[in-house]
Amino acid sequence: MAATRLVYGLYNDEEILLEAVKSANKEHIEIYDVYTPFPVHGLDPLLGLAESRLHYAGFIYGMLGTLTAFLGMTWIFTKDWPIIFGGKPYWAVPSFIPITFELTVLFASIGMVVTFYIINGLGPGVVNTYLDDRITDDKFCIAFDSHDVSDSDAEAFFRSTGASEVHEKEL
Amino acid sequence: MDHSTDTHTLIAPVKQFDFTGKMKVTLIVGMVIGILCLALTWFGDHDGHQTRFWSNFLHNSVFFTGIAMLAGFFMCASITAWAGWYTTFKRLWESMSLFLIVGLVLMLVVALGVYFGWHQLYHWNDAHSVDTDRILAGKSGFLNKGWYLGGTVLFVGVWYIILNRIRALSIKEEKEGSHTDFSIHQKIRVWAVAYLPIAGFTSAALVWLWVMSVDAHWYSTLFAWYTGASWFVSMMCITMLMILYMRSKGYYSNVTDEHVHDVGKLIFAFSIFWTYLWFSQFMLIWYANVGEETGYFLHRMENYPVLFYGNLAVNFVLPFLVLMRNSTKRKAGIVGFISIVVLVGHWLDFFLMIKPGVLHTAHELSGHGHGHETGSHGAEHGHEAVGHAAEHVSTFVSGFTLPGFLELGTFIGFLCLFLFFVFTSLSRASLQSENDPYYFESLQHHT
Repeated sequence: MAATRLVYGLYNDEEILLEAVKSANKEHIEIYDVYTPFPVHGLDPLLGLAESRLHYAGFIYGMLGTLTAFLGMTWIFTKDWPIIFGGKPYWAVPSFIPITFELTVLFASIGMVVTFYIINGLGPGVVNTYLDDRITDDKFCIAFDSHDVSDSDAEAFFRSTGASEVHEKEL
Repeated sequence: MDHSTDTHTLIAPVKQFDFTGKMKVTLIVGMVIGILCLALTWFGDHDGHQTRFWSNFLHNSVFFTGIAMLAGFFMCASITAWAGWYTTFKRLWESMSLFLIVGLVLMLVVALGVYFGWHQLYHWNDAHSVDTDRILAGKSGFLNKGWYLGGTVLFVGVWYIILNRIRALSIKEEKEGSHTDFSIHQKIRVWAVAYLPIAGFTSAALVWLWVMSVDAHWYSTLFAWYTGASWFVSMMCITMLMILYMRSKGYYSNVTDEHVHDVGKLIFAFSIFWTYLWFSQFMLIWYANVGEETGYFLHRMENYPVLFYGNLAVNFVLPFLVLMRNSTKRKAGIVGFISIVVLVGHWLDFFLMIKPGVLHTAHELSGHGHGHETGSHGAEHGHEAVGHAAEHVSTFVSGFTLPGFLELGTFIGFLCLFLFFVFTSLSRASLQSENDPYYFESLQHHT
């Protein structure tokens, strides 16, 4: 696979970045990707990104946690090892609710984090390539693939939209 | 993709709300229905104390007074927290909070009734019972007519004074303020900060007096929170419905789906918060199984099962499952439907808080409940009174076991009174204040 050569511009402010993305959309310049140090409101619809499906996974993990806790406690306290606590019946549903809630939250949160890491190729020991250190600090970046956008077009775009720096890098 | 914040700037929002004659007539018809229903409950009651009338009156007065108090409370919390997103529709909460003056009059009627013995809503207000019942005697330092009348007038009065001041300053800010001078907003902040602890603590005391003391032998330290959460969700549902209504009439064109989405989130989140409090109160009492505490729930679970379990279905399961998704919180049809159902649901929640206790008291005082005999033995037998009364109310009692048409009519009447007052307040000032320092932040709001 041939290396992707990216031309990217760095912006100092998310408002300038949003305007730049709008003008790229208007001029039909294909954006390879946008990198920001924090989530920028309104960026997703501008880039035409579909809504994440992570919460569907979260719902399924959550239901799994609910069932694990509730059915688990039901089996333990009615079949496997019935014990009377505080004069309550074996199948004391109200006292199961707090643990059911906790396991729902636990399964949903851990499941979503692990799924997110796997989908994004993140995790302990994984070496990720990135365009610029400062993208995780205070710079907002728009990158073009040089197959789609010529260097001169990219240069002109960055100059007209107020990018503070323009660089290129092969990934 | 369509970006909603781009479109609203194209249409200039309508400045002034026109409270049309047609709307007024509709709301007045609703109020007449309410008055008719109140009159029917008054004249149709043969127990000599008009208990059904008075309990309906108390139920609805408490419900809407609390909604007004919490509209002001959430507005003040938002002002204190430097929140800006709600600024485009802040006049709605201002107008709702001003309803407290009507709430004060309504609760004053109940309080005067307590003072002069017009009704028998509260067991602790019966001198003979207090003399012979150690529990009621022990609580008589707080549960007495002086506290009821004085607390109601003083506390609701103070809430109204503060919120009225905030409203006046807010209008002054719009007329005299500018984009650089925030001195008026600083004053609003001072009043808002003052309102939070005052309303927070005094509303708890009023909840104990107004609602919790209908079950005079019973108490729960969580009750004020639980009632407050119920009011909060109801208030958010009314806010949602009013925003949707105003937008459908062409007002608030710059209150976008983003704002609706956030109000929807608050309905969703506080429905869960309400459930959390409901369950916390229930589970501790269920688990500890102390006789004097369990009476409240035992009575409701055995004699009011439809309302008891329906309460959880309507106020938790429904909003939880439906509003969980992002997209449903942005669709006017779905979120409006849920708001109506949950609003009625929390009205039923208050019904369930008030009616069983009132009916129990009526039985006790009419001599059917053996309350005087058991009461005379003192605290250790106090819970038996609850058990005895439960035998007598296990049969269906119209207007108490389940709300009848007269109760629904009364609800419609009070709702129309509330809306009439809110729309009147809304029409007395412009709909939005461009000189609020957070106005432009609110226009930019994006979830």
